[in-house]
Amino acid sequence: MLPALRSKSESALDAALQRLTGGLPSEETTLARPDTPDHHVTAVRRLPAVAAQFAPFPDAFDPRLTQALTNRGVTQLYTHQAEAIGHALADRNVVTITPTASGKTLCYNAPVLSAILQDPSSRALYLFPTKALAQDQLAELQAMCEVLSGAGDQQPTIGVFTYDGDTPQDARRTIRSRAHIVLSNPDMVHSGILPHHPRWAKLFENLKYVVIDELHAYRGVFGSHLCNVLRRMRRICRHYGSDPVFVCSSATIANPRELAERLTEQPFELVENSGAPRGEKFFLFVNPPVVNHQLGIRRSYLSETRRIAGEFLKRRLQLIVFAQSRLATEILTTYLKDDFEGEPGMPERIRGYRGGYLPLRRREIEKGLREGAVRAVVSTNALELGIDIGALDVAVMAGYPGTIAATWQRAGRAGRRASRSAAVMVASSAPLDQFIVRNPSYFFDRSPEHALIDPDNLHILVDHVKCAAFELPFTTAESFGRHDVQEILGVLAEQGLVHRAQDTDVESGSTQGVWTWTNESYPADAVSLRSVSSDNFVIVDTTEETRVIGETDFTSGPSTLHPKAIYIVEARQYQVEKLDFEGRKAYVRAIDCDYYTDAITYTRVTPIDEFARDADRTHGEVHVVSRVVGFKKIKFYTNENVGSGELDLPEQQMHTTAYWLTIPAEVIGQLPYASDDRRDGVVGLGFALKQVAQLLLMCDGHDIGLSIDSGDGEQGAAGAIKPQKIFVYDNYPGGIGFSKPLFDMHEALLTNTRALIAECQCENGCPGCVGPVGNTGPLAKSVALRILQLLAQEQLEESVF
Amino acid sequence: MSSLADRVRGVVVGTGGTTQRPLITDQLQPPVPNPQSPRESPDLSPLAGCWSGGCFVVEREWKPSASHGRERIGELAARLEASIADAPLFSGGAAARPPLMFFDLETTGLNGGAGTHVFLIGCGWFDDDRFLTRQFVMTRFSDERPMLQAVARDFDRAGALVSFNGKSFDAPVLETRYLFHRLEWFGGETPHIDVLHPARQFWKRDDCSLGALERQLVGHRRIGDVAGFEVPARYFQFIRTGDARPLAAVLEHNRLDLLSLAALTARLLHVTRNGPGAAHDAREAIALARVYARAGMDERVVDAYIRALSFSHAPARAFDAARIDGLRGLAQTYRRLRRFDAAAQRWQELLDIRGCPAAIAAEATEALAIHHEHRLRDFELARSFALRSLESIKEERRPARTEAVKHRLGRLDRKLNQERTLSF
Repeated sequence: MLPALRSKSESALDAALQRLTGGLPSEETTLARPDTPDHHVTAVRRLPAVAAQFAPFPDAFDPRLTQALTNRGVTQLYTHQAEAIGHALADRNVVTITPTASGKTLCYNAPVLSAILQDPSSRALYLFPTKALAQDQLAELQAMCEVLSGAGDQQPTIGVFTYDGDTPQDARRTIRSRAHIVLSNPDMVHSGILPHHPRWAKLFENLKYVVIDELHAYRGVFGSHLCNVLRRMRRICRHYGSDPVFVCSSATIANPRELAERLTEQPFELVENSGAPRGEKFFLFVNPPVVNHQLGIRRSYLSETRRIAGEFLKRRLQLIVFAQSRLATEILTTYLKDDFEGEPGMPERIRGYRGGYLPLRRREIEKGLREGAVRAVVSTNALELGIDIGALDVAVMAGYPGTIAATWQRAGRAGRRASRSAAVMVASSAPLDQFIVRNPSYFFDRSPEHALIDPDNLHILVDHVKCAAFELPFTTAESFGRHDVQEILGVLAEQGLVHRAQDTDVESGSTQGVWTWTNESYPADAVSLRSVSSDNFVIVDTTEETRVIGETDFTSGPSTLHPKAIYIVEARQYQVEKLDFEGRKAYVRAIDCDYYTDAITYTRVTPIDEFARDADRTHGEVHVVSRVVGFKKIKFYTNENVGSGELDLPEQQMHTTAYWLTIPAEVIGQLPYASDDRRDGVVGLGFALKQVAQLLLMCDGHDIGLSIDSGDGEQGAAGAIKPQKIFVYDNYPGGIGFSKPLFDMHEALLTNTRALIAECQCENGCPGCVGPVGNTGPLAKSVALRILQLLAQEQLEESVF
Repeated sequence: MSSLADRVRGVVVGTGGTTQRPLITDQLQPPVPNPQSPRESPDLSPLAGCWSGGCFVVEREWKPSASHGRERIGELAARLEASIADAPLFSGGAAARPPLMFFDLETTGLNGGAGTHVFLIGCGWFDDDRFLTRQFVMTRFSDERPMLQAVARDFDRAGALVSFNGKSFDAPVLETRYLFHRLEWFGGETPHIDVLHPARQFWKRDDCSLGALERQLVGHRRIGDVAGFEVPARYFQFIRTGDARPLAAVLEHNRLDLLSLAALTARLLHVTRNGPGAAHDAREAIALARVYARAGMDERVVDAYIRALSFSHAPARAFDAARIDGLRGLAQTYRRLRRFDAAAQRWQELLDIRGCPAAIAAEATEALAIHHEHRLRDFELARSFALRSLESIKEERRPARTEAVKHRLGRLDRKLNQERTLSF
């Protein structure tokens, strides 16, 4: 709008960046600048402005839609939009990689609306990972449909509705009959739509498109479940004679097409070159300085974030600050309010934003941001996606968001299409943060993140076979997933869940065997898409009246809900008073304390079967036995160990898949260290290995487990040197598909682990590399590096001979 | 590596993350016939029915002289025939007409959805003074489609459907089955009387189940009846073993449900048709008044409330819930009929009852305040009623109503002042 104002904000941004970096790169380079005035800036990357690339509307486009878009100011498409729309209109499944603000919604709205205009009986189903995202899309779609129905006199009304757990019962019938486009989420499709498909016959008969937004969100357990939900949905579509086209959008990951094809079991076209324009952007990495070299302790990343946000705020730039937790959000909001809030009674310029705020308050903050009255907002990931807050000048991230994809999405909150913007990531002392901040090219170059799923995990698959049998009887010729579903149905029949009989078709007279659901239950109710097993612990607050405040899956129950554990929900602390293991209940009481607890778990992993082995690496099935034997009390902020306790809890067992690294006895023997130090080195190496694995697998720390087998239990002469094994296992019964890719990424895993340890500035190990010194011993860092070096040499020698 | 079946057993039988191995598979095999050679046709003789139109049908007849509890079939038939004209009062105004088709389903679950099957559709009707039942039994899953088609033909001649809780359960579940088979669902157009709703108003006791009403109102005691929760298991057993004996009791249970449903319907329509005089107690009379009120039959409403009051034998000012309901209903009806003095008299009687609930006292005092302010123009008395209702409302914590009363008090004070000024 105002060029003068814009250039003013650009020069303010330049000044702030100048202050932080001491000079901006003119080329698209990554600089490691230990000598900047602010010498914690580890990298500055300039992303040059990119001009828009346009393409005409595809021929198959309905002219009414072209007209409506033109009326809304869209006279041509970006190339990626045209390409994606072209594929979808030609009935080819397509997944589009979309940076923030590149117009991804048009990629799926356009073909859907075009199809409905041409055949009003057409239907579409949109899936969003959360209810909030569906709500955000609703308004935009409805506006489009209003323009469309206003375009001509005889335009049919296009019905767009959300259908989720919040939809009132009495509205559901209307929605089923009137909706052309249903906006929902996988959970609702799983438990509310598919089991009631006869009532949705009109949708399934005419289902032309299935839109899956935020495809990259469906990885691990959630993705494995979604794949099975889609298997069930396609089964039902076949029953009603439809074969929908999938239109997906994803953030940048390494394997978008593979993920789409695994999730839907359909071939896909990939559209990855964005034609959207982009303003110039500077991306800064900041690593708070080390304040204690011996322990490798860094200055608080929250204070650092406060200082950096201040540099922008005092130059009147509008910014968003992302924090990793609700607690951190509140702390940073307080800091920035202290520094910048004006006179009391004036409009608030600094606001916090997170889940748990009332909708009215949220809308007010969003409006304030769009209009510029709110100068800074501190938010959790609640503002990462979808919600319209306009484009800001700067995005500051307090802590690495956990995945590269999420980091780019947050950074995308800053930056208009034509003007300059900046994004700053302030690393915390967590290993992942430290790895990223020290390896900028890992982040900026082609994304290494693989979204992985294992839909044929038996625990997950069997649950969905039950749901599918409830929805439609299985024929004896049918398949479902990779395993033999007939054999699975046979076991379900033993349990009385299904019954096999001959079915004679009245019209054709042909007979075939069918498996019919013969149980009173509604199986979808027992399956949560966000966990592997439906077995879980519920957390009961007994502070005042008894009420359930949360639940935790069975596997992580003992380590988070053991007696005296501190359980945190919405920044409120509760202490577990009693764990009823059999009854799956943890009784807690609200408490106010300055520490949290960390369980000490003893884990033993035994290989059962090897699927593949190559030199030092193996991939196979393992038996994991774990027992929580005690816990530590860790003080907030300082992470001091302030106490501990012993526990006696039942053992947990599971079968899962694992990747393991075997360090041969010869390598161990070559280590010029004492046996205790050698052991420390292996432990430290395992610690670092797990961090890198987490990065490569795009998963949470909880998704994989680490265990070390020092060979003590094995036969052999006392004192003989034994090979050591480091197991990284899928922390879900049956495995969730991490081990095989990890096996395949072995090289990258070791190279990056080495980089993580070698490039760490600490002296003898810290939480950012091989683990805190107190835990792993003084020589862990050196020994771990030596092991990696020897392994690499061995590899080299092998390849020579 | 163990076989897939063994691993699946581990998943299905084991709980949560723990799978214990090795599993003793022998113990998991229930004694079922080999699924590879499904039985050809089960022995259905215990059900005493026959195949007709592609599905298995069981028919029974109750002669006019037969009895069900205290009732005789012939009398029920006669009573229904005489009172059928009032049936639309219970079908939401839809033109319910004879013949009434009583229906009741037995299903494989209570959750609905595509996997909940209707394995027994029981229907019953009066033919002259006999009661006939016809039960359609799904003896195997492939019977379902012909069964639904046959049922649709039967229901086609029904003037109205009658069920017990059928609007929320039986009809939607059955509709799902028709939708599943892409068959036209007849329930959309046919008037439907769900006796559960009036039953709650007319006869509400602690337990308003069909069985409880059958014992109390019809005087029938069942012997060896199947408990509802057992029904699906019996059907599954039949499906797996082909032994129809466990099912015979389910059919009997369903027939008795139909018969009792018919008896309750006859009683309901009889009381409605014959007016307040036929009500057995105050509760029935008040329920009747409400039915008439919904239909706009004001004079009958008044009679019904008066009848309800006639059942009250408590001393004039003593607490009696039925009398409070009766007086309140009567006062409201009189007000609607613009018989204001009569209404005021009932409101006053209500206020005189000791322990009259605050909400009702507030309503009465407000009505009386209005009556005295606008019609009798007795501002002093109106003011005292308004003050009293303020007291009653306080217990309810409803600020909007408090405001309204305060507003009235202010206006009354002004009017009183004016009067005083004028009188000087």
